[in-house]
Amino acid sequence: MLRATVLERFAIAVAATAMALALGAVIVAASGYDAVEFVSSLVYGAFGSRANVAFTLRQSTMLILAGVAVAVAFRSGVFNIGVQGQFVVGGFATAVTILFLAPVLPTGAVGGALLVVLGVVAAMVAGGAYAALPGLMKAYADANEVITTIMLNFIASGVVFFVVDRYLRPAGASAPNTEQFPDYVQFPSLVFDSASFSVIGLGVALATVVVVYVVMARTRFGYDLVTSGHQEPAAAYSGVDPKQTVVATMTFSGMVAGLTGAVFAIMILGYYSDPSTFPRFGFDAIAVSLLAANNPLGVVPAGLLFGGLDAGGQYIGFTLDVPPELVDGVVGLVVLFVATPELFRMAGKRTGLGGDDR
Amino acid sequence: MSVADRAARNRLALGVFAALVVVLGILTAALDLPLVELFTVGTFERALQAATPIALAAIGGLYAEKSGVFNIGLEGFMIFGALTAAAAAWFPSEGAAVTQAHLWFGIVAATVVCTLLTAIFAVLTIRYEADQIVAGLAVWFIGLGFGPFTATVVWGGVSSPSLPNIDDLAVPVLADIPVVGRLLFDASPLVLFTVVLAVVAWVVLYRTRYGYWVQAAGENPEALDTAGVDVNRVRYAAVLLSGALVGLAGGVLSVGIGSGFTGTGVTMVDGRGWIAIVAYLFGNYNPLGAFGASLLFGAMDMLQVQFQTIGISLPGSIVGLFPYVAVLVVLALVGYTRTPSAVGEPYDTEE
Repeated sequence: MLRATVLERFAIAVAATAMALALGAVIVAASGYDAVEFVSSLVYGAFGSRANVAFTLRQSTMLILAGVAVAVAFRSGVFNIGVQGQFVVGGFATAVTILFLAPVLPTGAVGGALLVVLGVVAAMVAGGAYAALPGLMKAYADANEVITTIMLNFIASGVVFFVVDRYLRPAGASAPNTEQFPDYVQFPSLVFDSASFSVIGLGVALATVVVVYVVMARTRFGYDLVTSGHQEPAAAYSGVDPKQTVVATMTFSGMVAGLTGAVFAIMILGYYSDPSTFPRFGFDAIAVSLLAANNPLGVVPAGLLFGGLDAGGQYIGFTLDVPPELVDGVVGLVVLFVATPELFRMAGKRTGLGGDDR
Repeated sequence: MSVADRAARNRLALGVFAALVVVLGILTAALDLPLVELFTVGTFERALQAATPIALAAIGGLYAEKSGVFNIGLEGFMIFGALTAAAAAWFPSEGAAVTQAHLWFGIVAATVVCTLLTAIFAVLTIRYEADQIVAGLAVWFIGLGFGPFTATVVWGGVSSPSLPNIDDLAVPVLADIPVVGRLLFDASPLVLFTVVLAVVAWVVLYRTRYGYWVQAAGENPEALDTAGVDVNRVRYAAVLLSGALVGLAGGVLSVGIGSGFTGTGVTMVDGRGWIAIVAYLFGNYNPLGAFGASLLFGAMDMLQVQFQTIGISLPGSIVGLFPYVAVLVVLALVGYTRTPSAVGEPYDTEE
């Protein structure tokens, strides 16, 4: 997947998405639904109204952040499938920080800003630490990180649910939710009049993209990470400890995943809840990152695309009787096609549409 | 990793295990916990039943990986297996009267459908050289999406209505053997089948020509090619076998021992496909070892019931996490398992 020019990658991304969507439409039709209505509702749900655009941008914000977290690791040759778990743990740290510090800090805008900053820091520390665990296991015990991170996803969900349900649920409440955050702890909504989307959130996501891009492309640290991913022996000869690099990569990736959790808790929820009911941003982000060829900048358009798909998919769930899970399946198909560039190269050769430059 | 390192790791693993046993012993004595009562025939019966789907998937995955293809999509294929079995059993009568014959039809359908699905996976990874890890993850995502989607199309909800499961089979005479008789010969025929399969899989892998081919395809494909055997054909066969077994595993879960398909959350498969991968790693790619490890995870899965019967009260949501924690501990201790050297590398014949 890494042996491809930028143009080729772009073509593969477009072709993979188009093929997955086409296959999705065929499946819709084969299940006895109206495929045209399905596609037009998908588009309307993503861009059709101001509120729909806000929803798309909200989902995109989360997917861009989580996508960067995945990309940091994948680019350095480590498969962090645990972004979902780190996202859950990070958001939980934010919620605990805000709920416990709110009574001792001043209220109003100043206190709100302070709580948001502390919540974000807590999330990044927690996410980084939770991701360091599989990093340490891979570096020093040779444990396959794909499996350890997936196990840690299950464990994060279970433990956070247990703590929220047992200790943070207000007396008498029936749902496993914590108390609401104070209403001054939030991102002001500014442009769109939406309770769960703020351009500040999107701004945080884009700033993260820039920071991560600069770190990966312009600093010694980032250079070491990427070299270890592509050429471990070369990195070792230039004095980089591969074991430490694995741990550092996972920690860095987990910090971004934790930040994703903080934005989710502050901007979208405003409280914390049972993680098994959360959207699976951490998994969809894998598709986002792969589609972006694991390039932090490429994550932005890929995140917007999947944000639109997600918003459209949920709109379909509300309005048509087509099950919204279909969109999850289509995301899976995109991943499958992106994993198979050879298929498109061969198709390209057969049809004479280039692909002969290898 | 050098031999000395490995020996050190083995000592460490043994040491940790011994320490755990000692700590458990002290705890038992100090707190006067009736831990001995955990070891009843009923415990083993439930553990064996819970282990069956894990072991089937593990043995399938083991053959694929031995041949050089890491089938990391076990979890996803298992979702399709569970769904297919429930749907195929339900369809003939639209749920009115699901009979034993329908359930067996469901099991067969799950096996066939998953074999066909892995055929696509095999073509993409072997012929079109897809990244095995990414393609396997894709299979999981596709299962998580299309599994509940298909259930909604069929039943109008992400889960199936409650279905009966396959009757136990009491083998005359053999069922009267103490302990073993109750465990194997008065149990679900699928449990018995899995035990037999583990033994057969061991014999085939280590004692037949096909088994040697599978091992060579994963260790030294060039040599196998030189010997005149088509490496990719051996790999296709192994991947298809993994598909059949993992489909069967899914079927066992939904209509063999379970009572229909559950599509909420991460579906009823709930990580068992991933645990199956760890089971064969823990068993060091030996089918009998993989079966033993599955039994361990099956027992973990059933701890909740055991704890309740002997009066230890731990919240179910925490006890439910034991198998996942066990996987982490196992990986930390045996993570050094040497994978077949050509796993993940597509093989092209030099012509």
